[in-house]
Amino acid sequence: MLKKMKAKHANELILLVILVFVIILMGMLSPTRFFTWGNLATIAFQMPEFGLLAIGMMAVIITGGINLSITQVATLSGIASAFLLSGDFAAQNPVLGIIVSIAVGLIVSVFTGLFNGFFVAYVGVAAMLVTLGSMTLFEGIGLNMTKGGSIAGFPSAFSFIGNESILGIPVPMLIYLMMIVISYFMLERSNWGVKVYLTGCNEVATRFSGINTKRTLLKVYVFSSVLASIAGLVLISRYNSAKVDYGSSYMMQSVAAVVLGGTSINGGYGTVAGTVIAVAIIQVVSTGLNLFGLNRYLIDIIIGVVLIGVLAIRFFNKKWETAQLLKISQSDTKQSQCR
Amino acid sequence: MRYLFKKKEFGILAVIILMSVVLTMLNNVFIRPDNLIDVAKGNVVLCIMALGMLPVLISGGIDLSVSSTIAMCAVVGGKLLVNNGSNLFMMIAVCMLSGAGIGLFNGIVIAKMKIPPIVATLGTMSIVLGAVLFYTNGDWITNLPKWFGEFGMIKVLGLPVQVLFLIAAGAITWFLLKFTLIGRGVYAIGGNAVSAQRVGYNIEKIQICIYVYSGAMAGLASVMHTSIVQQVDPNTFTGMELNVIVAVVIGGASTMGGVGTVLGTYLGVALMAILKNGLVLAKVPTFWQKIVMGSIIVFAVSFDVINRKREQAKLERVDVEE
Amino acid sequence: MQQPFLEMNHISKQFPGALALNDVQFDIYPGEVHALVGENGAGKSTLIKVMSGVYRPDEKSSVKIQGKKVSFSGELDAIRQGIAVVYQDFSLFGNLTVEENIVISQMIEKKRHFLDWKHIKNKAIEALKTVGADISPSETLENLSIAKQQMVAIAAAVAQNAKMIILDEPTSALSGGEVDILFGIINRLKKKNIAIMFVSHKMDELFAISDRFTVLRDGEYISTCKKEEIDRDGLISLMVGRKVKIEKLANLEAKGPELLRIENFSKKGNFKDISFCLHQGEILGITGLVGAGRSELAQAIFGLNKPDSGAVYINGKREDIMGPWEAMEKGIVFVPEARQTQGLVQEKSIEQNIVLPILARYSNKLGLVNRKGMREAVSELMQKLDVRPHNPELLAMQLSGGNQQKVVLAKCIGTNASIFIVDEPTNGVDVGAKSEIYHILRELASSGAGILLISSELPEILSISDRILVMRKGRISGEFVNQNMTQEMIMDKAVVNK
Repeated sequence: MLKKMKAKHANELILLVILVFVIILMGMLSPTRFFTWGNLATIAFQMPEFGLLAIGMMAVIITGGINLSITQVATLSGIASAFLLSGDFAAQNPVLGIIVSIAVGLIVSVFTGLFNGFFVAYVGVAAMLVTLGSMTLFEGIGLNMTKGGSIAGFPSAFSFIGNESILGIPVPMLIYLMMIVISYFMLERSNWGVKVYLTGCNEVATRFSGINTKRTLLKVYVFSSVLASIAGLVLISRYNSAKVDYGSSYMMQSVAAVVLGGTSINGGYGTVAGTVIAVAIIQVVSTGLNLFGLNRYLIDIIIGVVLIGVLAIRFFNKKWETAQLLKISQSDTKQSQCR
Repeated sequence: MRYLFKKKEFGILAVIILMSVVLTMLNNVFIRPDNLIDVAKGNVVLCIMALGMLPVLISGGIDLSVSSTIAMCAVVGGKLLVNNGSNLFMMIAVCMLSGAGIGLFNGIVIAKMKIPPIVATLGTMSIVLGAVLFYTNGDWITNLPKWFGEFGMIKVLGLPVQVLFLIAAGAITWFLLKFTLIGRGVYAIGGNAVSAQRVGYNIEKIQICIYVYSGAMAGLASVMHTSIVQQVDPNTFTGMELNVIVAVVIGGASTMGGVGTVLGTYLGVALMAILKNGLVLAKVPTFWQKIVMGSIIVFAVSFDVINRKREQAKLERVDVEE
Repeated sequence: MQQPFLEMNHISKQFPGALALNDVQFDIYPGEVHALVGENGAGKSTLIKVMSGVYRPDEKSSVKIQGKKVSFSGELDAIRQGIAVVYQDFSLFGNLTVEENIVISQMIEKKRHFLDWKHIKNKAIEALKTVGADISPSETLENLSIAKQQMVAIAAAVAQNAKMIILDEPTSALSGGEVDILFGIINRLKKKNIAIMFVSHKMDELFAISDRFTVLRDGEYISTCKKEEIDRDGLISLMVGRKVKIEKLANLEAKGPELLRIENFSKKGNFKDISFCLHQGEILGITGLVGAGRSELAQAIFGLNKPDSGAVYINGKREDIMGPWEAMEKGIVFVPEARQTQGLVQEKSIEQNIVLPILARYSNKLGLVNRKGMREAVSELMQKLDVRPHNPELLAMQLSGGNQQKVVLAKCIGTNASIFIVDEPTNGVDVGAKSEIYHILRELASSGAGILLISSELPEILSISDRILVMRKGRISGEFVNQNMTQEMIMDKAVVNK
C-alpha cells in the first residue's frame, strides 16, 4: 500500500526533498538572516501571488495549452478594482466599496477567461497564439485605463488584504492556502477535474465519450483567469496601487514553476501539490539568494539552470519508469494466463 | 493562375495592399518612399529574427530565447567595438558566433535530452538574460566608434544597408530551406517526425542546426540593431520573442509545424509593420495601439484556423450516388 | 528453376516475456505475389520488421538475398538491399509534395546536400509512370485521397529500386474501385519482376491477387501453399488452428418495440436518403464496402457529423442531437473504429476511461468524486466483461486489443444506454476475444438494447445480425432479414456495378 502511494506521488516527494534541501542550503548561506520571522514573513507575503498565478497557469497547461495572458489578466482585474477603490463611492463606503470592487475585478477576469476560452475551445486556435494576442489586448485596455501611470488612493481598510495577518498568518497566505485547497478539490477530486485531465490527454476520445470538451475547456480558462484576478487583488493591495507592469515577470516564472512541479507541457498530467512545492522552491531560492546578497540577475540564471537540470533528470527517470511499466504489465498478463 | 490565388501568401499580400490603400487615404505620408524606407529600416531587426525563427516553427518547435540572445550578442558586439576597435567583419562574425553558441546549447538540450523546446528555451532565456544583465548591470553601452556610426547610415541604391542585410538573410534562408537536405529535413520533421527518422534524416543533427541558425540570426540582428540606434541597452529586447513569433505565424507558419516560407515571413513582418506604422500615422493614441494589435492578432489567427477547417470539411469523403 | 529473391529460415525473435517468432520460414520469388496470412498476434508484423531491418532476428536465423547470406544493420540497410515496406499509415509527409515524398529517401541515401528539383521531378514522374498513377508531382500530399497517397507510397518504394515491396494491410482504407486499381498496380509491378508480399486478412482479396500463401499462427510457421492447393475454409482453419464454426447468434424472434428511427438522413458528400428502424432487442448489421458511407452515417447519428436534413426519433419522440454529449444523454453510445485514438484515452487508467461518461453519478452535490463508489462500479463492469488483467488502475495502453475493446464496451454499458452503435468492433481483436464480444453484444440486445453493428467483415455480419442493411455509395442499397443469407447476396448489393 505504502509502496503504491510512493510510486504515485514519487514526483511530489522528490520535490519536497528538493525543497527541504534548498531551505537548508539557503539557511547555510545566510544563517542569521534566513531563519528569521521577518524573512519568513517576506516569503509568506510574496509567495501567494506567484503561487496563484502558477496554479492558474497549471490548469491551462494540463489541457495542453498555455496562458500567456495570465499576468495581464491579473493586472487588468486589479486595475478595474483599483478604479472603483480610488473613487468617491469607495472613499465614503469603504467596506461596501471594497466588496464591490473585488466583485468587479472578478467579473472582469471572468470575461477575459471567456474571451480566451472561446477562441481556444470554440474557434480552435492554438492557445499560445490566442493568449499572445489577448495578452497584448488586455495590456492595452489596462494602459488605457491607467493612462500608463498608476492608480492609487485606496481606502485604508483595503491594505488589510495584502499586508495584515490573522492569528500570525499573513492574509495573502490564508487566501493562497484556501485557493490551494479549492483548486486541489476542483482539479483532482471533482468531476470536472477528471474531464479536464482527460481532455488534455486526448480531446477526441474524451469528446467521443460524451463529454462536452469545449465547455470544459472554456471553464478552464475562466478558472485560470479567476485565480489570476485573486493574485491581482493581492498584488494591488500589497503595492497599494495598480499599474500595468506589476508582476509581469511572473508569467514565465509560473510556467517554470508548473513544469518544475511535474506538469507535462503537453497536457494530461500535473498536480496542484507539485506546482505549489515548485513555487515554494523557486521562492525560497529567490529570497534566499537575495538575502545572501547575490545579484538578482544571477538568481535568474540559477532558476533557469534548475529548470533545465530538473527536466533533464526527469527525462532519464521517465525512460527507466516506462521500462518498469512494461515489465509490470507483462507479469500481470502472465498471471492471468495461469488462472 | 488559380493555383497562385490559393496560396496563403497571396491572402496576406491582399490584406497588406488593402491596408496600404486605406492608410494612404487616411494619411498620404504613408505611401511616401522615405516613410516606407523608414518602416523597412525599423523592422529589419524583427524580420531577421523572424527568418531565424522560421525554421524553428516549421520543425514544430519554438525559440523563446531569441530576445535574450540578441541582447547578449548586442552587448558582446558593443564591448568589442568599444574596447577593441575592431572592424565590421569581425563584429558580425563574433556576434553571430555568440548567438550560434546559445543556439547550440538550446539544440543540444532539445535534441539530446528531449526537453520540450518551449521549456528549454524558456530556461535558456532566463539564464542568458540573467547573465547579460549581471555582466552589464543594466548599463548601456554608448560611445561606439565613429566608423560604426557611418556604417549604420550607409545607403546603397537608396536603401539603407540594413535592408540589404535583410535581403541577404532572406535569400540565404530561402536557399537553405529549399535547396539543402537539411532544409528539407526541417519540413519533414515538422510534418511527421517519426517518418523523418525512418526515411533517414538525422533528427538530432537537424534540430541542433535549427536552433544554431536561430541564434546566429539573432546575432546578426543585434549588429543591425546596434547600427541603427548606435548604442546598446540590454533591457530593450525583453518581450521581443513574442513579436517575432506573431510575425512568422501571421506569415503562414503554424505552431504545429510543417509549413512556412520566407516570402510568408516577409509578408507577416510587413503586415505587422504597416499596421504599427498606420496606427502611428493615423495618430491613434499609444494605449489604443496595443488594443488594436492584440485584437488583430487574435482575429488573424482565428481567420486562418476557420479557413483551414472549412477546407477540411469540404473534402468529400464519400462518392454519393445521386 | 528461378532463384528466390529472399529466403528466410529459422527466424526466431524473442522479446522479454514473449517469443514473437519461433523458427519461421519464408521465401519469395521475383514477380511473385506472396501473401502473409494470420490472425492478429500471429507474428506478421514482427516478421515484417525482421524483413525490413527494424528487428535483428535471433541467432541461428538465416536470411539470404539472391542466394547470398545477408544481415541488415537497420531499416536503411534493408532498403539499400532492395526491400521496401509500405506501412498502413504510409509513413509519408502530408505537408510535402508528391515528388519530394517519392524521392526523399534517395536524396538522403545519396547524400545529395544540394537539391536539383528538376532531377527530382523527373525521377518522381518516372516512378509514378511505373506504378501507373495519374498524379501531379507538384501536388501537396495531404490534398490527395488516401488511395492516391498509397500510390505515392508505392511509387516511393519503386523509386528506391525496391526488388521486393511489402504491403501491410493495403486495402483497409480503400473503396472497392480503389482496390481494383491497387491490384492493377500490383500486376504492373509483377511484370517488372518485383516481388510483392501482401499482408491481409480479407479472404476475397487474398484469393484474387496472391500466387502463394504463408500462414503464421501464434508466432509459429504453419505452412506455405500455392493458391491452387487450398480453398478459403482451408486457409481459415490453418490460420485459426481449428475448424471454425461461424456461431449463429442471430435471434430473429427478438424484435421489440421501435427504439430508434432514422428518416431521410442526408448529408452532402456523406450519405443520402437514409431511413431505417432499430428495435429493442435487435442487432441491425450495416455493411458495405469501405467508402460506402457507413461510418459517416454512424457518426451522424451520434451527433459528430450533423446531417443537412433528416430526423431522428428515439422511442417515438423526435430528437435534435447537437453533439455526442446530447446523444449520450438520450441513451445512444458509440464504439468507434479507431479504438486507440477515439475509443480510449490511452495514457489514462481503465477506471478513468470507463467512468468518464458517467462521472456525475459518482459525485456528490459539490461535484467531488466518490472514489469508493466509482471503484466498485468499475470493478463490477470489468468483472462482467471479464477484462484482463483485472486491475482498474492499469493504463489503457497496457491492455491487449481485445481487452481494450472490452473496456470501451464497459464504458458504454456503464451509461445504461439503450442504443449501441458499434463500428468494426472486432478490428484488431484476436479470435478468442472476438467470440466474447459477440456474446456481449447479443446479451445486451437480449436485455432490451438495440445495436447498430457496422462491419465490413461479412462472416461477422452474418453471424450476429438479426437484420442487415447494405450501403452503397452513400445510400441504402438493400435490406434483408438474416435468414438463409449468403455473403454473395450481400456483396451483390454492396458492389458498385460498372
